[in-house]
Amino acid sequence: MSLAAAPGTGSTSTSPTAATLWRGGRGVLLVALVVVAGAVIGVLLSGSGGGRPLDPADTSPSGGRALAQLLRAHGVQVTRVTSVAEAEAAGSGDRTLLLSDTSFLSEEEAGRLGAIPADLLVVGVQPYQELITPGVRAAKKVRARSREPRCELRAATMAGSAYLGGSSLTAPSGATGCYPADGRPTLVSYTDEGRTITVTGDGQFMSNLRLAEDGNAALAMNLAGTRPALVWLAAPETAPQATGEQGLYDLIPGGVRWAVVQLAVVVLLLALWRGRRLGPVVAERLPVVVRAAETVEGRGRLYRARRARDRAAVALRTSFVDRVTPRLGLPSAAGPDAKVEAIAERTGQARFHVGAALYGPPPADEAGLVALAAYLDMLERQVKES
Amino acid sequence: MALTGRAALLALLGTLAVLFAPQPAPAVAGVALLLLALIAVDLLLAAGVRQLRFTRSGDRLVRLGESATVELVVENPGPRRARGLLRDAWPPSAGTAPRRLPLDVPAGERRRLTTTLTPTRRGDREAVTVTVRTLGPLGIAARQGSHRVPWSVRVLPPFLSRKHLPAKLSRLRELEGQHPSMVRGQGTEFDSLREYVAGDDVRSIDWRATARRNDVVVRTWRPERDRRVLIVLDTGRTSAGRVGTAPVPLAGEMPGTGGLYGGAAVVPGWPRLDWSMDAALLLAALAARAGDRVDFLAYDRAVRAWVSGASRTELLSSLVNTMAPLEAELVEADSAGMVAAILARAKRRSLVVVLTDLNAASLEEGLLPMLPQLSSRHLVLLAAVSDPQVAAMAAGRGTPELVYNAAAAEHQNAARRRITARLRRQGVEVVDAAPEQIAPALADAYLALKAAGRL
Repeated sequence: MSLAAAPGTGSTSTSPTAATLWRGGRGVLLVALVVVAGAVIGVLLSGSGGGRPLDPADTSPSGGRALAQLLRAHGVQVTRVTSVAEAEAAGSGDRTLLLSDTSFLSEEEAGRLGAIPADLLVVGVQPYQELITPGVRAAKKVRARSREPRCELRAATMAGSAYLGGSSLTAPSGATGCYPADGRPTLVSYTDEGRTITVTGDGQFMSNLRLAEDGNAALAMNLAGTRPALVWLAAPETAPQATGEQGLYDLIPGGVRWAVVQLAVVVLLLALWRGRRLGPVVAERLPVVVRAAETVEGRGRLYRARRARDRAAVALRTSFVDRVTPRLGLPSAAGPDAKVEAIAERTGQARFHVGAALYGPPPADEAGLVALAAYLDMLERQVKES
Repeated sequence: MALTGRAALLALLGTLAVLFAPQPAPAVAGVALLLLALIAVDLLLAAGVRQLRFTRSGDRLVRLGESATVELVVENPGPRRARGLLRDAWPPSAGTAPRRLPLDVPAGERRRLTTTLTPTRRGDREAVTVTVRTLGPLGIAARQGSHRVPWSVRVLPPFLSRKHLPAKLSRLRELEGQHPSMVRGQGTEFDSLREYVAGDDVRSIDWRATARRNDVVVRTWRPERDRRVLIVLDTGRTSAGRVGTAPVPLAGEMPGTGGLYGGAAVVPGWPRLDWSMDAALLLAALAARAGDRVDFLAYDRAVRAWVSGASRTELLSSLVNTMAPLEAELVEADSAGMVAAILARAKRRSLVVVLTDLNAASLEEGLLPMLPQLSSRHLVLLAAVSDPQVAAMAAGRGTPELVYNAAAAEHQNAARRRITARLRRQGVEVVDAAPEQIAPALADAYLALKAAGRL
């Protein structure tokens, strides 16, 4: 084949080269790098993460390490436990059980907590509050802030104002309620079978962050340090593993599970194969598509919507007269009477009917309009044929 | 880069390997690595796309409704055989077939590929891109890239009314007295003397010439020649409305292009503009044969096209070329500007044929006040395409809905009759005909004016 390339009909490649890809993509790449670096640095700086609220071993603002140290300095033996079984086994006798977070416990375990023969200090409303301290319930959400004791409880009056709130509580009869919010106490203390049970609506006053404010430290010490030993139940670092029999998933051989991964790869390749277009989509500026009759159809619908029988009848009659008058040999300026006369004479219809059809009142209903149109058609046919 | 189905198939075979492998996790990684390696090798061994060179040749002009062929020569200067797929992309309304072509060009050779275009719209169609996908020897992966290979095909108006031309021309010859039938030539211009033939009108015997010779001699007349006809096409909003049924299939005949107008809903027909162009072409062809000078103007708010002084032989081709890219503009036509443009261009008395719509509202506000200026110097003929759909609606009877529609159609017809009567009172000729009839009707009106010697 010998083909001379005509001038002006050459071709130019429009696909990007590696250099143009790099030039176009380096900005995006830089931004992505900055974002990733920022995220990594942020995670590294934030240390161990969110922290565990009111954990005696946690030093984050929400932890309880400060109070634990304080209690130990005052000679209280603080024992950190992370399960009910440990709490039950942590020695008996003269001790206080401090509950700050029991959301990881089951219903049955919460019931066992309530039965441990020790003083009980519950900070914050717990999921199974009724089982742990029968008779104390959360009443209403209130804002946590510095509140006055306003009660006879020695621990509270000695401490003075403290950061309390969270939830107001309903107390059983014979209980002392302190730090009231909206008329209900946020700290309730009572004695049950020789045990002193104290419940607060919120535990933040014990946290590392708030301990130094107000009388928070004093209140915490007064509540938690009344006995020589304190058993502090904290949430474990990791949720306990569910120990059940093997599920269906465990019975599937490993090969099948990895084959599913491989199938995902197959699907990905299929998507890449079918999803790759052969060249860009071609756009085209198309002309407007509008039927010329649309305005007329719109007027027809408008007539119907407004039941404009009068206007419709006028249109039909006018066009009928315009078509028929030249056939009758009448000038277009002829009067209505002359036209009615001529039409009646030509068709043999009664003058009265023709007059009513042409110049009568508009039809009373839609059936009348249809009938008028049919009658005019009939007249026109007769004029044509006569 | 692109993958093929083989890559997915290989991965699927890999699934079997993973299923029965003693250690599935390393097997997954191994299969993935193997696949990646094969893809990389295939990509490396595929022919380069960037280096391919393209040259086009073929049709530059095509009538709407007919097909054009455009050839693409692919040259492969690289060291490896280029095997794969090629897509020569054109706008959808160019009606490209086939949409993708198999490609196989050995190293250092060229191959010619042919694409057929069957356009569904008038206007210029520009080639967009040529995309090539070259497969590697394993057929797992392919290189892909695009090239710009400029080419444009101008789609001309189809001039369907040319089928009426022979009949109108024979009518013209009758007028000129050149027709074999023994009819005295009509018209007012003295043409020549010739011998009397039995059947000639005795009134046309020239007695003075007969006396000079020993034979009976008759005078022949012919219509005036060298008159001017200016065809004005209104490309404003009223010319966008679609009427009738499109004589050239717009969509649906070609596979894959169906649904150009959103599925199989209403077939919207052809714009008034296209019908008007058809009529204008027939009139121009006829007037050129009759010896008149034809000029052409397209106007809405500015001059869209202007053809003047084309010779008789070139007139039609230059007209269709000028008309091809014209589209209806969605603006109200500026009648004052149009009249000014006509007056500036037609210095001598002309027949001004305005192809527009008999839209009462826009005519009363636009053209009617300007008409006296125009009709005082020129003979004005206004041609409009009526809508058969409205005529069909006017005949609707039986249910209230149909009768209301009929009333609306009659309302429109009455407005058209009123405006026609006003135009005729002002001395303007009006041709109002259905889409299929507008071209012959306009030609007849022209012939009648010519016969009456009114040009």
